[in-house]
Amino acid sequence: MNVLLFAAIILYFAASVLQFAAVAAKKAPLHRVARILLLAGFAVHTAFTVWRGIAAGRLPLANQFEFASGFAWAAALLGFLLYLRLRQEGILTAAMPAAFLILSYAAFQPREIRELMPALRSTWFALHIGSAAFSYAAFAIAGGLGVSYLLRLRKGKEESDPQLKQLDYVGYRMVCLGFLLLTVVIFSGAIWAEQAWSSWWSWDPKETWALITWIFYAIYLHQRLRLRWQGRRMAVLAIVALVLVLFTFAGVNLLLPGLHSYASQ
Amino acid sequence: MKKLFPFLRSMRFGMILLVLVMLCSLAGSLVPQGEQAMTYVRAYGASAANVLIAVGITDIFHTWYFYLLEVLLCGNLVLCSLVRFPAARRLFPALKEHTKSAEPEIPFEPGQTEQAEAFLRRNHFRRDGNLWFKGAAGAYGSFGVHLSILVILVFGSLVLMTPRIQDETVMPEQTLTLEDGTAITCLSFHIEDETGKLDYASRLRVTSPDGKSVAEQEIRVNEPLRFGGYKVYQQTYGTAGRVHIRNSANNAEETLYLTEPCFLSIDGKNGIFFRALYPGYLEEEDGSYTLITSTSMGYPDPVYDVQSVTDGSAASVLAFPEETIQIGDVFFTFLLPAEYPGLRIKHVSPVLYGGLYFGFGLMVVALYLCFFLAPVCVRVEEEGFVLCSPKARDGLLISLQAALQDERPTGGQS
Ligand code: HEM
Repeated sequence: MNVLLFAAIILYFAASVLQFAAVAAKKAPLHRVARILLLAGFAVHTAFTVWRGIAAGRLPLANQFEFASGFAWAAALLGFLLYLRLRQEGILTAAMPAAFLILSYAAFQPREIRELMPALRSTWFALHIGSAAFSYAAFAIAGGLGVSYLLRLRKGKEESDPQLKQLDYVGYRMVCLGFLLLTVVIFSGAIWAEQAWSSWWSWDPKETWALITWIFYAIYLHQRLRLRWQGRRMAVLAIVALVLVLFTFAGVNLLLPGLHSYASQ
Repeated sequence: MKKLFPFLRSMRFGMILLVLVMLCSLAGSLVPQGEQAMTYVRAYGASAANVLIAVGITDIFHTWYFYLLEVLLCGNLVLCSLVRFPAARRLFPALKEHTKSAEPEIPFEPGQTEQAEAFLRRNHFRRDGNLWFKGAAGAYGSFGVHLSILVILVFGSLVLMTPRIQDETVMPEQTLTLEDGTAITCLSFHIEDETGKLDYASRLRVTSPDGKSVAEQEIRVNEPLRFGGYKVYQQTYGTAGRVHIRNSANNAEETLYLTEPCFLSIDGKNGIFFRALYPGYLEEEDGSYTLITSTSMGYPDPVYDVQSVTDGSAASVLAFPEETIQIGDVFFTFLLPAEYPGLRIKHVSPVLYGGLYFGFGLMVVALYLCFFLAPVCVRVEEEGFVLCSPKARDGLLISLQAALQDERPTGGQS
């Protein structure tokens, strides 16, 4: 079944390449093909995820590989749904490479199916990890939009350009969505920790980094309100914030082990 | 003073505090917390370790300055919210007034009025003549978020600062009586369930001090037992030796658990000194045994390391399960070891937890209001429309334009 995983990676990769080509060449038909490839990748990825869930007999989100795969899946899904609603190609230009890169990272993680540790058998855990996948996906798209924004600025577009304004706005909305979901991640994690280990907060490194990320995004939101920051500054903040998200997601497990170190198994 | 108050309640001060909390958290995640001084000396060298310890970075989340930051953040939020609440109340009526009187700024192409109205209907706007609006509750969103931060900080800190936690091991079929007379009996404990899946579950019976109320429940990780003000968690487990003792002089008998070294004797002089229980052993060619201190699968070949003590002299003996050692009239029969649970018993205040969880719920709802139900007012005229919203204007314009564009045949755009 690994063939499904690698097929999804290749399809996401092809979609990203075509999408970039379409942006560079300003060719609508290429965009359409890129979208079809993304959908094909998503379908294959979904089939892989369902197969893995059935093979494991549980929600396939219990270790670093499964979570990374869920994160990529959420990025593809969220990107596509948002595209359907807002018809902004910029969203797909961010979501496609995000899905490709995250799923490629997943492919380097140990993939064997293991029995779920007793501590992970909890509805709160399912909510915790499910909302984390979507929250990180929203932040990844926001970061991708930030990169896209800066690249277009460098190409000589003005901040007042309507397309750039739209990119900026959609990035901000992605942060709003991600922030709401990250809040759910932290709270469901806290309730779960209280049920499993008797303390709702223990300053475990993963917890602490989730808090750091959360505060950083809170500052992002306030700077937008307080100083009416928009455009370039927001794009830079979204990219820096994404680095924090990625560190919370992968770096903490590697460098700062704690209670969540099961996740790196 | 005139300048101090506006600063203390300002968003700027709030952001400074948030950055400081973030920096402390960063330091606390990079430097291991609450370790022995020697650990830091080994990791960072003596002088750096001294500085870290003196500045409190080795236990930063319990330093006075971290608490001070929390208090200042609470104060800042209270002041800011109090000052801004009246404006939140006035926001929606003012928005409606403004929308009524403003000039249509965004023109429609012919026939787009109906499409725009259909879009507003689809998006659950309410209608009053040609005025469409939604999100009255959203005006209170940020107020709710800040209130919830206060609630979480206050109740969350109280929950963390006032724990009454007791860690106990209770052997199967034994009873632990707490200070107030509440009795916890461990009826059974197992590591694996019937299907061989790891389970770590204890069946407990808890009885109130007056004996009137009794609860029985199987607890496992994630499924603690709640009883009165107590919560009982399945925390750890261990393996204990067991010995059956029979005194042939009076036929008295008893089974005891062996968890730590002890001397088992009736007259205080002769008996068995239990040293340790080993999970396995290797039999050497010369008939001697090498004891194994740990295995990956529990206690596959348990063996007891004991000394028999008679008339002041002791001899080391290995005893295998079902083996009996006789000392005078007393028979010591070693049994298969038993697994027992380590329980964590926490005295909780339902009010504090209720407050904390209320804060969690409030924040999620309030964030939703903030981000997805922001106040919006739209006036639709034949020639165009007015769109007023302090926060959601850009987003609504993008979705509305996308909806209008969807009705026409288009190619993609980048
Ligand atoms: C971790 C702490 C905080 C969080 C999570 C938080 C969250 C939020 C959110 C989500 C919003 C709405 C943003 C939007 O709609 O785009 C907001 C608005 C606001 N926040 Fe905070 N906040 C925090 C701390 C503070 C502090 C310390 C202050 C200091 C005074 C503050 C002042 C404000 C103000 C004045 C607004 C604008 C209110 C409005 O226009 O409706 N916040 N905050």
